Amino acid sequence: MSLLTCNQISKSFPGVLALDKVDLSINAGEVLALCGENGAGKSTLIKVISGIYTDVEFSGNLLLNDQSVSFYDLTDAEESGIAVIYQELALIPRLSVAENIYLGHEPTRGGLIDWETLYSDAQALLQKYNIDIDVSAPVSHLGIGQQQLVEIAKALAKDSKILLLDEPSAALTDDEVVRLLEIVKQLREQGTACIYISHKLDEVFQIADRVTVLRDGQSVFTSAISDCDQATLIRHMVGRDIHDMFPYKSHQASDTILDVQDLNVFDEQRQEQRLFNISLEVQAGEVLGIGGLMGAGRSELLLHLMGAYGKRHQGTIRYKGQVVNLHNPAEAIKMGMVLVSEDRKRYGLFLPHSINFNLSIASLDRCSHGGIINAEEEHQNNQHWFDELNVKAPSLEVACKTLSGGNQQKVVLGKTLMNEPSLVLLDEPTRGIDIGAKVEIYEIINRLKSQGKAIILVSSEMPELMGMSDRIIVLAEGHIGGSFERSEFDQEKLLHAAMHTQEVSTSA
Amino acid sequence: MNKLSIREFSLFFALILIWMFFAAINPEYLGARNISKMGVELAMTTIIAFGMLLVLLPGQIDLSVGSGAAFLGGIASALVFNHSFPAPVALGIGLVCGIVIWLLMGLIIVKHKLPAFIITLGGLLIFRGLDHKVIDGTNVPVSHGTDNLYTYLTEFNLHPIVGWALITIVGLVFIYNKVQQRKRRQKFGFEVDTSEVSFLKIFVVIQALILATITFNQFQGIPLPVIILAVVGCFVYYLTEHHTLGRHLYAIGSNEEAARLSGIPVERSIVTTFVILGVLTALTGFIQASFVGSSTPQACEYLELDAIAACVIGGTSLKGGRGNVFGVLLGSLIMVSLVKGMTLLGMEPEDKLIARGSVLVLAVWLDIYLARRSGISDLS
Repeated sequence: MSLLTCNQISKSFPGVLALDKVDLSINAGEVLALCGENGAGKSTLIKVISGIYTDVEFSGNLLLNDQSVSFYDLTDAEESGIAVIYQELALIPRLSVAENIYLGHEPTRGGLIDWETLYSDAQALLQKYNIDIDVSAPVSHLGIGQQQLVEIAKALAKDSKILLLDEPSAALTDDEVVRLLEIVKQLREQGTACIYISHKLDEVFQIADRVTVLRDGQSVFTSAISDCDQATLIRHMVGRDIHDMFPYKSHQASDTILDVQDLNVFDEQRQEQRLFNISLEVQAGEVLGIGGLMGAGRSELLLHLMGAYGKRHQGTIRYKGQVVNLHNPAEAIKMGMVLVSEDRKRYGLFLPHSINFNLSIASLDRCSHGGIINAEEEHQNNQHWFDELNVKAPSLEVACKTLSGGNQQKVVLGKTLMNEPSLVLLDEPTRGIDIGAKVEIYEIINRLKSQGKAIILVSSEMPELMGMSDRIIVLAEGHIGGSFERSEFDQEKLLHAAMHTQEVSTSA
Repeated sequence: MNKLSIREFSLFFALILIWMFFAAINPEYLGARNISKMGVELAMTTIIAFGMLLVLLPGQIDLSVGSGAAFLGGIASALVFNHSFPAPVALGIGLVCGIVIWLLMGLIIVKHKLPAFIITLGGLLIFRGLDHKVIDGTNVPVSHGTDNLYTYLTEFNLHPIVGWALITIVGLVFIYNKVQQRKRRQKFGFEVDTSEVSFLKIFVVIQALILATITFNQFQGIPLPVIILAVVGCFVYYLTEHHTLGRHLYAIGSNEEAARLSGIPVERSIVTTFVILGVLTALTGFIQASFVGSSTPQACEYLELDAIAACVIGGTSLKGGRGNVFGVLLGSLIMVSLVKGMTLLGMEPEDKLIARGSVLVLAVWLDIYLARRSGISDLS
């Protein structure tokens, strides 16, 4: 007898069948890994199980202890013992850790909140799971990883029988991931059923008892974890074998597009210097990779090049041989520099609007005369890039918020490329998108390369950085920590360079 | 698209209900005279609401348009009556003041990153104070008893034949545009209405145009403010639907940071909307003073709230990024029809205020309720 069973669950959105007769079951004291590419239907399935979609909004059955159940809303599901930990944090920054943990379930005495119980319960809870966080600290004072642990504690406080973890490790450091996995193990011993969603397959193999793979809304594979390996999982997730993950094409020396000398940039809001003595150059048809740890100043460097960040205290930027002083992204774009930023939802897309709107919004001048948009020209351009980038959507009129991460990223790429740039700055262009779409983006990068565009690629994924770049420079705390030709690429050396200057600058 | 039609259909339906209700109580409500007067009042609310739409789209707001309109109208009236300026010059000066003041407010808002709510709330009080100083707290007539450009603003009506000629041209242009648009969408492979629905839509609009013209002509002809309203409406429609500025406004309203990084001139776009709003505020102030016959201390009270209400009822988001001309027109038709109907029934001003407020709340509640019911929530 299984604790929770999903029986032939189907859910459709206008134009998309998000879930197609999905079967899934989980027993008490079991960890089930749910794998699949973005857009495979994992999040939709979570929403079905957790009561966000009521039973009129999907078809199929949810069984709890073999009894058919239907939830009216999230709270309803919570009362049946189902709790969700979302990948996006749902904490209130100004409230303390303890207040967040018991938000909506505050212990009361005589109608007023019983603060002593609240804090001592929170303390006991965190101790039980070995989480070392001050319960009276405001959440805003914690790092992202600690916040994620608070989020987990919040679910634990509800004494749930079934815990859904939606990419809980995405923002965690390695140490914190270890902590998280221990907590999950502890829960399993207590008899809690956990559904664990993660892109990181090594975690899946460490923690899961069984695995179910979703692809295109269908459950295509279920197996005990001991009976399968990573290659099998990837094959089921992608639906085909991926032979050549990084289709690198070599580069011939040509004209220098961007030449940066001795750049020193000051962050006026935070009142500190962020970039120190940065020099670099990129040629036409070349990919310059920029590596480094989070917060090393990589995004800041790209934003500064676009005229969108910081004040330059020293240094020159030459673009196609000319010294430039850019004040805003509009000027940069006019000169032929474009940026695909790391957070596409925040800095790239106009989510409620159509693909049409998003594609042409940055280059309306190209299809308008005296400010009046020529619908025909606009549509031709949009259709061209829609096809060229292989965006998977029913039509150009679909709202961007309904697209999967990979397709959203293609729209962002299309938007920037419509400006016909000579220099393309890519900041984590494949973050959070699935393997198939990643390879497509790599192919686009190569196409741009063969068209003679200069490319700067910022990435936290070492294999991607080493696979796609002609040269790599590594940033460490705003300094250049090392610079490597393709023949010198080596994961350890790169990592060492990323940490190196940290030691120098802290000891100095 | 679907959601849009549902909303606009229900607004249209509500409007018909309102008309039927008041006409049943007092048939004069739909008489030529009342409709003509309503046309002028509709013009005032809607012109300013169109301006408000432009400011709301990029996520800004303007609370100062009511006192601003009174102030600018007051300047023109004082110049004409107290200082014997020729009306065109006085109106010109009022207009220039409007442009300059709204340009300054726009610049303050974008350059110093101050919330428009606060700046224009200040404007609301300052302009009312200035207005009282300009008209010295009394009623200042818009003329010395003889007709001038100022009085013509609301007293001039198109000769019936000219009116028919104009409406024929407008109707033909409308049909041509609709047909072209439909062809284009078909060519792009986009969804189009069935030919029956398309025909019906055109038919309804043409019917409305003809009916309105007949009614206006039964009284004194199409009033000038209605013509001005139509021109402003076309201008704002074109701006929002076919001009790069309009696109940029929608983009800024739905994601300002992304708009900036996409190279959209965020500051310039916002300031431009404020300048346009300044022009429309002046225009509204003039029409209002002309309609009453003088600038009064209470002129244009709550006009800003009526304008915002019309926008919101018509589906404009106060957070920016959503709203269109057609919706705003329906929203302000509903507001004006209600107020005019209540006036005709001789309701007390206090009751009218309560009714207006309730309609606004009800409309927004209904909108959100309908959106949830149809499964399109903003939550996802």
